[in-house]
Amino acid sequence: MPRRLLEFGIVFLLAISINFFLPRLMPGDPLKLIAGNAAPQLGEERVKALRAQYGLDKPLHQQYVIYLKQLARGDLGTSFRYSGGKSVVEVLSENFRWTLLLVGISLTLALLIGSALGIWSATRRGSALDLSLLSSVYILRSIPPFWLAMLFIPIFAIQLKLFPSGDSYSIPRLDGWENVKDVVRHAVMPITILTLAYVPTAYSVMRAAMHGIMESDYIRTARAKGAPRSWVVYKHGLSNALLPVLTSFMLDLGQLLGGVTVIETVFNYRGIGNMMFEAVKARDYPLLQGGFLLFTVTILILNIITEMIYPYLDPRLRRGTA
Amino acid sequence: MTTRRISPSRRLIRLTSGFGVLTLLLLLAFAAFPSVFAPFDATERVALPLQKPNEENILGTNDIGQDLFSELIAGTRASLFTGLIVAFISILIGAIIGLVSGYVGGWADSLLMRFTDLILVLPFLPLVILIAVYLGPSQRNVILVLAVFFWAAPARLIRSQVLSMKSEPYIEAARALGANPIRIMACHLWSGVQPLVLVQTVLVASASILAESSLSFLGLGDPSAKSWGSMLYFARASGAFLGDAWKWWVLPTGLMITLTVLSLGLIGYGLEQRISKNVSL
Repeated sequence: MPRRLLEFGIVFLLAISINFFLPRLMPGDPLKLIAGNAAPQLGEERVKALRAQYGLDKPLHQQYVIYLKQLARGDLGTSFRYSGGKSVVEVLSENFRWTLLLVGISLTLALLIGSALGIWSATRRGSALDLSLLSSVYILRSIPPFWLAMLFIPIFAIQLKLFPSGDSYSIPRLDGWENVKDVVRHAVMPITILTLAYVPTAYSVMRAAMHGIMESDYIRTARAKGAPRSWVVYKHGLSNALLPVLTSFMLDLGQLLGGVTVIETVFNYRGIGNMMFEAVKARDYPLLQGGFLLFTVTILILNIITEMIYPYLDPRLRRGTA
Repeated sequence: MTTRRISPSRRLIRLTSGFGVLTLLLLLAFAAFPSVFAPFDATERVALPLQKPNEENILGTNDIGQDLFSELIAGTRASLFTGLIVAFISILIGAIIGLVSGYVGGWADSLLMRFTDLILVLPFLPLVILIAVYLGPSQRNVILVLAVFFWAAPARLIRSQVLSMKSEPYIEAARALGANPIRIMACHLWSGVQPLVLVQTVLVASASILAESSLSFLGLGDPSAKSWGSMLYFARASGAFLGDAWKWWVLPTGLMITLTVLSLGLIGYGLEQRISKNVSL
């Protein structure tokens, strides 16, 4: 665990260093990248103040220290998309819950559905069912999720009028129970698409893990003892597959989590991904950096949680830590 | 277990690989000779904007009056080109890192593999967006940014194969005869990992075509270059996909992306099954 924590620390350091060096390595005045197109309108005084605030007149290593100090205070800079100059942290915290809602539910659903299908496939390997599942997952993996979203909106929202075509809630907002129903209705399509995008990974990982295990000696022994098939699959098979499945799933998290960016954009959903898209259009660099950092931190936290769950899944680890 | 149960999987692989190869050949033809297949120059305004499919324009026209079918054909070149270039660069980096890491071992190995893990953990799309915004929208930058990421997974796979080959008699023999490490890596180990490298090239090409379409869709690719991602970007930007236009503008474009990604994926999968000693679907 401490070794893994160190690795996570290094990832975090890498992420904040990327944020520091990207604007400073680009040709041109870094102030323009920090203050954006607003720089010319700010006036001499304000520009000078900003330069001093970020230490742009000082050597690079001193700038880095200033940057780290700001970060430690939870200061990610000011978003210049909003005329009033909202802080990046403020904007992020407004948007993050929506992303968390989408990603949390989709990841859980995909893990459950994908794993169930993976087990089903692995225990009937080579059968017509296994092969058709495998082929379907292969096709699903090749479909761009944002395209699926662009088909869902005209069909399910505009023609069939089953769901709203975008946003996270109706305006004006409803109250109480009606509001909850409204939020759910807005979340159905993005969650469906994200789940479909995540299922292939969960399926492939589970199928491969279960296959290796079902061929092993202890499964053969359990079967030979006359234990019922389903018992062998779930008790002996699944409990040994969970660990490798979770490990490989976590390794893919960087790929999976980022996918929410495009889906939120298509649905105009108020999450971090859509916020980053809007920030791209406005060249709002502080906000983009904040979004990237938040995604990184989320992945790291999910990894740490997984590390903490491991002992409960693997009795061998429990004895070591107790 | 029994040959009877394996044979349907073999048949399926043969079928899917065949489908993949045929589709890819057709796409390569589109990319090589767009003017043979496309009725119009995709960059010319040939009719009124936002036309429904008609005899002249079989898939209608886009928001500025360009022929959508011709755009679809023209987009093949950009997508395949991006995919193959990204694959080539990533595999080159991945192979070097994998070979050095696996063969040299020790400190170099742990350092390189930790770095590889770092790349794999970072949130892919948000970071790609961030870098692409700083670099500015262009096809070259998209290729660059994707290659920065896509070498990591192949590097890991190549390394683990090198590890298993390291103690083979012919490698030991080469070493005993005094071959220097670079020669061993470049000649002996390289020929051993070649099949894996081929498979990975095809799979990375498939993945990068999908990623390129996402980036172009977000408006981070070259806006003037004809690519399927940017066609979808304009379909969304013009709001046309909300009406009936999704049937002839959005649907065929996404199908082209899916077909391309799928055909490369199926070829890669077929090759993978062929090179692994025991066929296990």
